[in-house]
Amino acid sequence: MITQDLISFFLFSLLYLTVTIPLVLAYRVTKVINFTVANYITYGAYTAVLLDYYMRSSFGHNSLLLTVLSSFAVTGLIAVLSNLAVFKPLAEMRVKGDVLMIASMGLWIVLKYVLYIVSDIASSAWRTNLVSYSQIHYDDISLLTVRAGLVGVQQSLVVFPLLAVASMFILYLVLSETRVGRAVLAVADNSVLASLSGIAVGRVVNLTWFLTAGLTSLAGVMWTTYSGAITPEVGDSLILQVFTIAFIGGLSSLTRTAAGALLISGVENFGTDLLSTYLGLPTSIKPMLTFTVLLATLIVSPPLGVAGGVPYRFTRGARR
Amino acid sequence: MGLPLGYVFSTTTSPQSTGAPQAGQAREYQIGFTLPLSGELSSIGKIWEKVVYLALDDLNNEVKAYGFNVTFKPVILDDGTQDDKALANVQSFAQMGIKVVIGPAASSQVKAVKSFADANHIVIISPSSTAPTLAIPNDFIFRTVGSDAKQAKALATLAYTQGARTVVVFHRNDEYGNAFADFFTRYFSQFNNTKVYDLPYQAGLSDYTSEVNALASKVQSTGADSVVLIAFDTDAANILAHAAGNSVLSSVRWFLSEGPHGAQELLSPTIGQFAQKTRLLGTRPLFVHNPLYDEFAKKLKEKYGVEPTVFCDTLYDAVQLAGWAILRAGKYDGDAIRAALVEVAKHYYGPSGWTMFDENGDKAFQDYGVWAIVKTDQGYQFMDVGMVQGDSVIFTTTPYR
Repeated sequence: MITQDLISFFLFSLLYLTVTIPLVLAYRVTKVINFTVANYITYGAYTAVLLDYYMRSSFGHNSLLLTVLSSFAVTGLIAVLSNLAVFKPLAEMRVKGDVLMIASMGLWIVLKYVLYIVSDIASSAWRTNLVSYSQIHYDDISLLTVRAGLVGVQQSLVVFPLLAVASMFILYLVLSETRVGRAVLAVADNSVLASLSGIAVGRVVNLTWFLTAGLTSLAGVMWTTYSGAITPEVGDSLILQVFTIAFIGGLSSLTRTAAGALLISGVENFGTDLLSTYLGLPTSIKPMLTFTVLLATLIVSPPLGVAGGVPYRFTRGARR
Repeated sequence: MGLPLGYVFSTTTSPQSTGAPQAGQAREYQIGFTLPLSGELSSIGKIWEKVVYLALDDLNNEVKAYGFNVTFKPVILDDGTQDDKALANVQSFAQMGIKVVIGPAASSQVKAVKSFADANHIVIISPSSTAPTLAIPNDFIFRTVGSDAKQAKALATLAYTQGARTVVVFHRNDEYGNAFADFFTRYFSQFNNTKVYDLPYQAGLSDYTSEVNALASKVQSTGADSVVLIAFDTDAANILAHAAGNSVLSSVRWFLSEGPHGAQELLSPTIGQFAQKTRLLGTRPLFVHNPLYDEFAKKLKEKYGVEPTVFCDTLYDAVQLAGWAILRAGKYDGDAIRAALVEVAKHYYGPSGWTMFDENGDKAFQDYGVWAIVKTDQGYQFMDVGMVQGDSVIFTTTPYR
């Protein structure tokens, strides 16, 4: 089923790009290997769920645009609050990177169960089940597809490229065309020098959390048009692939990360189908394929930017 | 400081908190519930929680009407539809002194708790576990729903009478899915000119894109005309949503087990349209023409605003049986309650019909209804459209035109 594999490859490539590019940028600025990226995806999806139920009940229709703006704002705010409450105090104590990583794991679990509580309360208040929610159809996208003569096209085929391109464009615009963006890159390259040159590093860090978490939440919104059942486990199911791709990119090179997203999506979709069809292997070996790629990458072309090392582009000369 | 601490310790360590009644006072019995409030069965688990409260209200009112000075209280724990959490919950109940536990939902979970329950003489009443492999006599496991050995036959009959001849059975790779698939294959293969291909999928994933693509390849390579899906609610919703976007899978018939019935996710436009296109039909345990079921469904809707899903009726009856068995036993003891439960079930008729157990502690008499997802003015809805009787299917309405 090559056509179906191509479609899945296309969609998952976009999904992984939307999550991993902001993740790598966030790491370069904050130096946190951040497991709460799973929460950003899930909170993005659940802002969409709650808004969809509320809007349909109150107005009879929903809106992708409003959903995207709300998901971005909510998730960005949660990330900033997480930084102020957890990562900033730890950074001021000058703890090592592994302590920050463990803190992010704890925060990941806490935020997950906060979401369970919130959806439980909403379910009781609205007398409907929100712990598991159906696929969402966005009325403005339906209108768009009808006007474009694309009647019958799955919404995910429209929403995925739309949000992925929007996400990359926003990131590109901010980083290359704004003073704030240049400040972010300066802090990413060297926070000490950036501080000495007058950049308010603390503010840049908060802004980076807000921006990257907000952009990651778009992956959650994408997911609501793809999966038949949206649950608070959405982000957790993607975290292994996300970190594999980020490590392929060395947690530093955005270009290599993008290539990693395409590679992992290809291996998962084509590789699994080929092995299942011709060798009769179960599709449950998918994670094995993902990690085989990771291990091969680490052995053949170890990224030196990982865990606080220099950015990848500065290592090429040294390795020669 | 000492007085409040003393009060706290005295109330938390009093016999009343362990599930046994305190002499001289109104008796309070605790019933443990291990429910899938999160995880793969959470879609129906949240509704089950409402059913528990409704059932206990009715039970408490009924026992008072009979003059018993007794109250039944629930202790509800979420097992996340996971085997290890279900076991942990039952162990917690044991520590609290609770001798009757309702749940868990999934057959793999029942399997996980069985040894502990049998060793500690804790009566387990599952309203939804149906794996034939758990039909074992002389244990502490009871199920207020018939074994899937019978449902597999009903589903095979439905598929065959609807024209299925070459079938791919796409099923959860767990206790429930494997046993159901095995029995389905046995029964379907007995019909003339039939072929069955087995395709298990790993349960517990958040997305089944690869699995659905593999299914499409299998359907195409075998020339199958039908798919039989044996799944729970969230995995079924994910699978059907992906299948809806697949041209191969949208051109064959689909037949489902009872697991996904009632899940709101299946009523989305994507899956609703797919159901119309593939004339999707399913089977589920159903006691037809039961006014008590209609009354129960009405009460649930009025009090909690939800429609009953699959196994809500068997859960309701499990609660009633547990309460009356405790009273009949005369003491809060696992062995006595187990013996009393068998006798109480012989005479109890509830929303799920007669609850009499067979020699394995499973519901002895079970009918199976046929359900569909139909389009109405209010959107897509689940509808019971017929029933399976012996080797034939009787439709009471035409679900798809």
